[in-house]
Amino acid sequence: MSASSLPFPVIVPMLRVPILKPMFLPFPFSLWPRTLLPPLFLRPTVVKFPPTPCRLTASVAVVVNPGLDRSDISYSRTTAVTRKPCVNLIQGLERVKEISRILRVRREIEELALTYYKQAYEHETFLHVTLQRKEILGGCCVLASCRQQRWPITVGTISCLLNGDPAAVGEVYQEMIKVLNIQAPTFSVTDVMEAHCQEYKVSPGHVPEELAEDSKGLTKRAIALVELAADSWIVTGRQPLPIMMAAVYLAWQSLKPNAQRLKMSLEKFCKLAKVQKSKTAGTRITEMKGMLYKLGKEIPWYKEVLTPDNVVSLVGDVLQHRFSLLRRALKSHELSLLEKCPAGQVNPSSAETSSSSDVSEDAGQTPVKSSVNAEKEKQGRDGDESLKSPSEESNPQTQELTQNWGKRVLFAPPCVVNAKRKRAERPPLHVTGDEEISDSEIESYIRTPQEARDFAMMQEKLFTSNNESS
Amino acid sequence: MDQNNSIQAFQGLASPPGVMTPTMPVFSPMMPYGSGLTPQPVQNTNSLSILEEQQRQQRQQQQQQQTQQLNTGLPGASGQTPQLFHSQPVPGSTTTALPGNTPLYSAPVTPMTPIAPATPASESSGIVPQLQNIVSTVNLGCKLDLKTIALRARNAEYNPKRFAAVIMRIREPRTTALIFSSGKMVCTGAKSEEQSRLAARKYARVVQKLGFPAKFLDLKIQNMVGSCDVKFPIRLEGLVLTHQQFSSYEPELFPGLIYRMIKPRIVLLIFVSGKVVLTGAKVRAEIYEAFENIYPILKGFRKTT
Repeated sequence: MSASSLPFPVIVPMLRVPILKPMFLPFPFSLWPRTLLPPLFLRPTVVKFPPTPCRLTASVAVVVNPGLDRSDISYSRTTAVTRKPCVNLIQGLERVKEISRILRVRREIEELALTYYKQAYEHETFLHVTLQRKEILGGCCVLASCRQQRWPITVGTISCLLNGDPAAVGEVYQEMIKVLNIQAPTFSVTDVMEAHCQEYKVSPGHVPEELAEDSKGLTKRAIALVELAADSWIVTGRQPLPIMMAAVYLAWQSLKPNAQRLKMSLEKFCKLAKVQKSKTAGTRITEMKGMLYKLGKEIPWYKEVLTPDNVVSLVGDVLQHRFSLLRRALKSHELSLLEKCPAGQVNPSSAETSSSSDVSEDAGQTPVKSSVNAEKEKQGRDGDESLKSPSEESNPQTQELTQNWGKRVLFAPPCVVNAKRKRAERPPLHVTGDEEISDSEIESYIRTPQEARDFAMMQEKLFTSNNESS
Repeated sequence: MDQNNSIQAFQGLASPPGVMTPTMPVFSPMMPYGSGLTPQPVQNTNSLSILEEQQRQQRQQQQQQQTQQLNTGLPGASGQTPQLFHSQPVPGSTTTALPGNTPLYSAPVTPMTPIAPATPASESSGIVPQLQNIVSTVNLGCKLDLKTIALRARNAEYNPKRFAAVIMRIREPRTTALIFSSGKMVCTGAKSEEQSRLAARKYARVVQKLGFPAKFLDLKIQNMVGSCDVKFPIRLEGLVLTHQQFSSYEPELFPGLIYRMIKPRIVLLIFVSGKVVLTGAKVRAEIYEAFENIYPILKGFRKTT
């Protein structure tokens, strides 16, 4: 057999030596070109991988010695690479940083907020929520860390920054607090007052001199007014912004109560100070003036007729002597109550004494003697019983005082003083649950066949007319 | 007021709903409306009236036993005191209709046993929360065609694009029901457990009259809401400071303070006016217990601040 008769090319060295003509090829089968190998040698024993539909890379091929264990290695292990952090988490952390820098918070607050965000993001409650909710979560983390570090900030500010609904922010905030199991101190109006007062551009450089007011003095007066309002139940349960605005407005007026300032309305003041007017602030101004009037009435050296409108000029005196004015106001109130209801039929409730003790104890002063005595008398009783008696019921004035305890005390939450009229309550239905159900009653809830037909016809007509119009 | 005592009352594990102190057998933890504790059903018939007849007979037997033992005079404020022995949930589900079943409230109760749970009468607030809303669920036991119900019932509204249930209302007791095509129904608006049961029966009867084989299975009260007025103002800012772990007060979001009591597991909404709303109860006693727990805190807090 010569080399030319073989079906494949063979490189034969040109040597003048006798050529061996072997029956078998000299080099191993595995190195032969695949197309030339007989089918017997095409079995793929070299590369082994699990039968998964995945793209192969050069690194995938693993030579398995057929003689050893043929256990498969999972794709995730074979393609294991360093896990990258989630893109949305990175963006969320950046957003938290941005919010922190806009608010100019301390570094510790920013770092704490970032920690909270990372922890909350990876919790199952927030992992699969919408991106919008995750953005709100970032704002809530900043809010929580600001509160923990005593940095004054409101939910409204965060909502504004996020351009979101305060209710949604509140909801995410509550969830986040629960998930992270942290406690953040609640909001306090007086903490935020200083920051709020700085928004009002009424310092000497911004407005004419007669309307200008030093920022520190304005803040101090406004904080005192807010504290007095809080003692008088005007602040609790209310939105803080209108109260702050009302306090700043009254403080500004009272620091220089000239005709120009006293005539200026809230709207004009807000325009002057370049702040957005709050609609509810007007109501708060009225309430605060009412409170100041009750105290201002007791000033002994003020001889003119005092009304809630002209009390602003006395704000300084009221704040300076508030404790003694309060004592006098309580005494006067008790006397007036006794005059309205002779023979002591209406007991001044323990609420009144509590409000007096609240205010005076907040101020660190000793309680009024009369109220202390009244309180001691009442300690033996349950203070919340109904005070109706036949003589009281006959007198509508006393009846009103009895039913509405807010009218009996000097200061009460406005929602109690101006209680909404309750809609007439239905008489209670005494049933056992097992009464007979009359067929006639049930029949009254079921349409007659004619009614049902008419209803069906009407629905069909409505449906077709809707289709035509659309 | 010693705040520590009141705080200690809330520590520890939350008790299962309805569990009271062992000395109060009146408030049994059993849920006779069928909350998964119901034994196997005796019989299921297609006729609601026959089932009701059987239940009535059993209840009559139980009530006869109860009237022999119980004193009908109840302490507490008139007009506000609930008729607790009548209002105690009695077996209302067909699945509890086993003969020889021990009545839940057959334990002997002396006439002087106070109704207010876990609080001696001398410290009782004297205020009883009024129930305002009861939410209950019942299984009518058959698939329903909501379009047919909406077509043939006068008091029904059905807008599948908005909500996948028929909204039905009845006048007495004034309630609303959501009826789903699976046969499940939610009944809301009743002011007592009995009213809720009666209303649910009426809705089931209406569905029956419309031609469906409705039954009355597993009536269960899911939620009870009560409210009352302590008649003095409450410093919410102070309360949230002293009870921070239970309270949440955000005046920017909601004017009231949200107090999450652990034992019993009730959520209270406390307002500056002194009005308190209690919700999350499965039995009436939880509402009363929660209020008796919070009242000393509110009262003591008002004096110390």
